[in-house]
Amino acid sequence: MKKLLAFLLTGAMALGLAACGSSSKGSADGSAQSDSEYVKANGKLVVGITDFAPMDYQGSDGEWIGFDADMAREFAKSLGVDVEFVEIEWDNKILELDGKTIDCVWNGMTLTDEVKSAMETSVPYCNNAQVVIVKADAAGNYSTVDSIKSLRFAVEAGSAGEEQLKELGITDYTAVTSQANALMEVEAGTSDAAVIDSLMAAAMVGEGTGYADLTYTVALNSEEYGVGFRKGSDLAGLLNDFFKKAAKDAFLEETAKKYGVQAALVEFK
Amino acid sequence: MSILTVSNISKKFEHTEVLKEISFKMERGDVLSILGSSGSGKTTLLRILNFLETADTGSITVNDEVTFDASNAGTKSEAEIRKNRLHFGMVFQSFNLFPQYTALQNVMLARELLEKAKPEFKTDKKRILEKIETEALELLNQMGLSDRKGHYPHQLSGGQCQRVAIARALALSPDILCFDEPTSALDPELTGEVLRVMKELADKNTTMIIVTHEIPFARDVSDRILFMDGGVIVEEGSPSEVIENPKEERTKQFLSKSNIK
Amino acid sequence: MKLIISQMPVVLESLNIGFLQTLKLFFVTLLGGFPLGLVMAFGSMSKFKPLSAITKLVIWFFRGTPLMIQLLIIYYFPGLVLGNPVWGGGEAGRFAAASLSFILNYSCYFSEIYRGGIQSVPIGQEEAGLVLGMTKGQIFFKVKLLQMIKHIVPPMSNEIITLVKDTSLARIIALQEIIWAGQSFMKGSKGISGAIWPMFFTAFYYLIFNGIMTVILSKLEKKLEFFR
Repeated sequence: MKKLLAFLLTGAMALGLAACGSSSKGSADGSAQSDSEYVKANGKLVVGITDFAPMDYQGSDGEWIGFDADMAREFAKSLGVDVEFVEIEWDNKILELDGKTIDCVWNGMTLTDEVKSAMETSVPYCNNAQVVIVKADAAGNYSTVDSIKSLRFAVEAGSAGEEQLKELGITDYTAVTSQANALMEVEAGTSDAAVIDSLMAAAMVGEGTGYADLTYTVALNSEEYGVGFRKGSDLAGLLNDFFKKAAKDAFLEETAKKYGVQAALVEFK
Repeated sequence: MSILTVSNISKKFEHTEVLKEISFKMERGDVLSILGSSGSGKTTLLRILNFLETADTGSITVNDEVTFDASNAGTKSEAEIRKNRLHFGMVFQSFNLFPQYTALQNVMLARELLEKAKPEFKTDKKRILEKIETEALELLNQMGLSDRKGHYPHQLSGGQCQRVAIARALALSPDILCFDEPTSALDPELTGEVLRVMKELADKNTTMIIVTHEIPFARDVSDRILFMDGGVIVEEGSPSEVIENPKEERTKQFLSKSNIK
Repeated sequence: MKLIISQMPVVLESLNIGFLQTLKLFFVTLLGGFPLGLVMAFGSMSKFKPLSAITKLVIWFFRGTPLMIQLLIIYYFPGLVLGNPVWGGGEAGRFAAASLSFILNYSCYFSEIYRGGIQSVPIGQEEAGLVLGMTKGQIFFKVKLLQMIKHIVPPMSNEIITLVKDTSLARIIALQEIIWAGQSFMKGSKGISGAIWPMFFTAFYYLIFNGIMTVILSKLEKKLEFFR
């Protein structure tokens, strides 16, 4: 899908450049400017997010809060610009970055090879794992990696979970458009199991959630969360410095405690 | 002074010469019938008079005023053409009434639009509109349709529709009223009522050009007859000359094929 | 069930906000699409060959490609290819880009309906107007327009009902219309997570709104039955 779109856009680009010779000058000017200069000139850092507690979610007053949101707000302050949170369609995050409709993706994003090759990423700041979700009453049968291989899986297309299934040699799974859809597949019985982020699983399944009869069993890997910027952006380096400073004056840890993610926090030296 | 002078009108469609150097004159109060088989060019002639087609050569003069001249046809503005058009009224074979208007509204619409464009309309609006309506009702009455004024075209018979169309054309008081086969689309039992009102108009000295296949009717109402064939006027004269005693072979053939009683 | 009832107020508030966005996109599309469609209909029927050729090419493109792709191209093209993200990242920009895509796409469909409507009026109507000394404008507005409208109401109704549902495609560029709002509760939003029912519940909004549109449009159709 993304490749097809890129192909189409390349075709359109040929047309577009022919049609608007003058506007190509604008992009040349743009590339001479560093990304942090671009953001400062705009006066705001546009942060691409999805509604994803506890990293980014809306408080009762409609303000975006969460571990990532609070960090992003503080980072923008350190740059001397405002912060603007924009909800995006997760599949389109690279389009949004490259199209400059957002300046970074800061949303509990797993640092996969795909993400690292398409974006300029920060150092990891949180640990995460991909976990297997099954119906709670069957959980006892699926406590080892080998025992889950016979299950019919639903997994978000292009996610870290999908990569894990491939590594296990499971190819006969259903790719769906979001982690939430993967959970719905299990709940509805159309799939036996799903693979999602452990941070998300902690918030979404089990007692007191909408998926009370689901639970998570095996952790397939461990992985890390990072922040993504446009390829070649100098903002990634600035953020790394910011993280180091925030770790030193304990802001990082206090914020993590506030949102209950301190156990997953990466240690900054 | 002739009311209408047509000289040297020619018209080609693609490579077919539909009209070849047509010339004729008519006097005020005359009824002129044009006879001829299909494809003889008679309908095209009528459409040229009404500016629905543009002739390639020739000129048309109404009341000593040149309304059309092929040598400068392209230079006329739309407004001039519209003004010249109003010398003629046109009644179509298929009525072409406006379906969303009642019989009365059909008769009034064009008059209203013309009057509204005039500067004095604003100051004397009410009286002018009343006048238009009174005259339209009078015309419908003359057509025997007083009780049908509020009917929409689809609620009227073909004969009634055609009579509304005649009233609509008369509402603009044209110098010359043209009929393009006005009864051809009608069931035979409905042609009578249309021909009767046309006869009444003829009796009131309305200047009319009638393209028709109704030869007995043409003989009864016309002052003069044109017989056309292959884009030329083959024979012209009084009804007794052309219909009773045709001189040309082509006229005789045409008349013998159309069985007149 | 108890859970659903306790979640209802929060969910309805979100769905209402989403549906407002859906309605905004719907009405803006009609407002822009109706006149632009008419312009394109005349363009495609123009006797000036280059104009009609270009218009037909545009119509071919917008009818021949998925609206979803058009949304992606119109929203992302300026930033990705021209290096100038004219729409910006905020909600207003996304709405503007979605509106432009929908207006362009739907005006192409509308133009074909208009064209059918214009061509359905017999040439005799124009000729009758001409010989009565009417101007082209008077003929169009006083004679042909209502006949056209009568002819286009049924196919237009179809398009309008489809448009109501098509607005959900705008979520591909993260326009937060009602289905987006409904789906957000599956993942987790406003303290509710893993709730599937809000997404299905959005169907009622569409049903009720389309019901209202159907009633209005069939009323209009009835109203125009006074002539044939």
